[in-house]
Amino acid sequence: MSRRMKYLLAALSVFVLPLIFNDTYWRTNLTICAINVLLTLGLDFILGYTGQLNLGHSAFYGLGAYVSTLLIVKLGVPFWVAFVAGIGFAGLAGMFLSLFAVRLRGHYLAIASLGFAVIVYQILLNWISLTQGPLGIYGISPPPAVVIAGRVVADFRSLTAFFYLVSGFTFLVYLLLNQLVRSPVGETLTAIREDEISAASLGINCAAWKVFAFVVGSAVAGAAGCFYASFVGTLVPDAFYVTEAFNVLAMVIVGGVGTLIGPVFGAIFLTLLPEVLRGVGDLRLVVYGAALTFVVLFMPGGLIQAAHLVREKLRPSGPAS
Amino acid sequence: MTVTIVLQQAINGVVLGSLYVLVALGLTLIYGVLVQINFAHADFVTLGAFAAYFFMHLVGASYILSIGVAFSVGAILGWMINASIFTPLRRKGNELLPLIATIGVSVMMQNLMLAWFGPIPYAFETQYSNQVVRFAGIFVSWQNVIIIIVSSMTIALLYAFMKFTFLGKALRAVSQDHETAGLMGINQNQLIMLTFVIASALAGMAGAMLAPVLVLTPFAGTSVIVKAFAIVIIGGFGNVEGTILAGLIVGLIESYTTQFLDPGLIDIVVFALLLLMLAIRPTGLISERREENV
Repeated sequence: MSRRMKYLLAALSVFVLPLIFNDTYWRTNLTICAINVLLTLGLDFILGYTGQLNLGHSAFYGLGAYVSTLLIVKLGVPFWVAFVAGIGFAGLAGMFLSLFAVRLRGHYLAIASLGFAVIVYQILLNWISLTQGPLGIYGISPPPAVVIAGRVVADFRSLTAFFYLVSGFTFLVYLLLNQLVRSPVGETLTAIREDEISAASLGINCAAWKVFAFVVGSAVAGAAGCFYASFVGTLVPDAFYVTEAFNVLAMVIVGGVGTLIGPVFGAIFLTLLPEVLRGVGDLRLVVYGAALTFVVLFMPGGLIQAAHLVREKLRPSGPAS
Repeated sequence: MTVTIVLQQAINGVVLGSLYVLVALGLTLIYGVLVQINFAHADFVTLGAFAAYFFMHLVGASYILSIGVAFSVGAILGWMINASIFTPLRRKGNELLPLIATIGVSVMMQNLMLAWFGPIPYAFETQYSNQVVRFAGIFVSWQNVIIIIVSSMTIALLYAFMKFTFLGKALRAVSQDHETAGLMGINQNQLIMLTFVIASALAGMAGAMLAPVLVLTPFAGTSVIVKAFAIVIIGGFGNVEGTILAGLIVGLIESYTTQFLDPGLIDIVVFALLLLMLAIRPTGLISERREENV
């Protein structure tokens, strides 16, 4: 199947999904899935393509959400301007952290980014005059309806329209990142991931590219934050605690780090798993934790590798694609 | 007046700091031997606290005995989880997978505790909480005296173990160079297990002593572990002396921030210090020279 066909198929399934799941509960879940896919794409670009272990993804998510919402609520800025500002601010925060962290490796970067996320969370929680702290911000309105020639084309108060908006944006980000990682830029980034010293010896400016990846990834997380705030309608700092960063990391790893399509499925799988497990009642998150552990125990390459293995088993004679 | 407050908070800081040291030492030991961050460490702290609580309230045992119980519960559970999950994972030789597995184990343990113990905070009071020693205008509860004695003895024992016994030397050898230590006939798997058991036992024990200070819910360990990570970095990954020093510093920061600034700022001050340390001296307070293989 050619790449264009795959894109078409993906676009088609995104279009059909809210028509199949036509109750509020599942449509809400679909949108949350799309937001999480966006988050994982950002993190995977940082972790999977330049090998920077970022445990602070929740910070950029939260900054995007709070900056855009505060601009709308306090200053009356139009949604899409605030959206761009939220993305920009998250990207700048990512640049700040990565300029600082670029000489740190592996677990030092992990803890530095974790520390950054803790600081951002505590600021959101304690700067009560600005963020209203734990009380939260309520009644955030959805993006304005798209009106063309006096006719309402898309009203984002409807769950379906909102889902199309987020998944459309996510799809666009996926396409752009996919072009990027298959371009020479992508090769440069993976060279840095595989061996920074060899990459530097080839004349690659590793620090600059690592900052670049970090900025792109955190800006994407900022976009997810903007969508989250206007979708849920309320903002509390607890949504951006460091455990959220761990969740996103788990989605990336379970899906298959270093591929763009893997984290997409990882995000969908781990977002829907706790919902599907609602029947288990109180123990559902226990089962979720166990599932997470077993996936990494028995499928070390993530869902994407497991899918490849299954495909090879089904077609023992054909070449692996 | 101010001098008494400063002294009073110094004591509170040292009490808190010595407990953070117990938690952070476990993390740093595991990191030293395995080069792995363990997120589930937080839940050994919580579990130790609950073990002590129920041992005191159901069996009616004394507080000191229940600290020992928390120690053993931590050790046993550490052994079980390492044997069942982390050891098989390590054979796959990937560094990200064990990290995610520790997150999975953490989610599992937290929610098991949530199912058993419920979300309502437990009031953990011991017979020593209200008995106060007073000297030179400073109040110290017996609870805090016990914490300081028990934790400083434990830290001293661990330090002596690492410095003077054969096993301790083997442990340090493995954290300096896996392969060479293996060539010298050191059984790495046994040592990893030993490290895990010691670390989890220390966390459990720290939990039993932290419980009266914390809001004891199934998620109580998370706030402690986040600070413990900061301590581990400030002290230098895998460095025992640095971790002890950094733990006491963070404890003091916490008590002085509470007194003179605002309790909400504790984490901000601690992590600003962490980022500053990483910018100036990424190798930690007391740095060991480590060569990196290219």
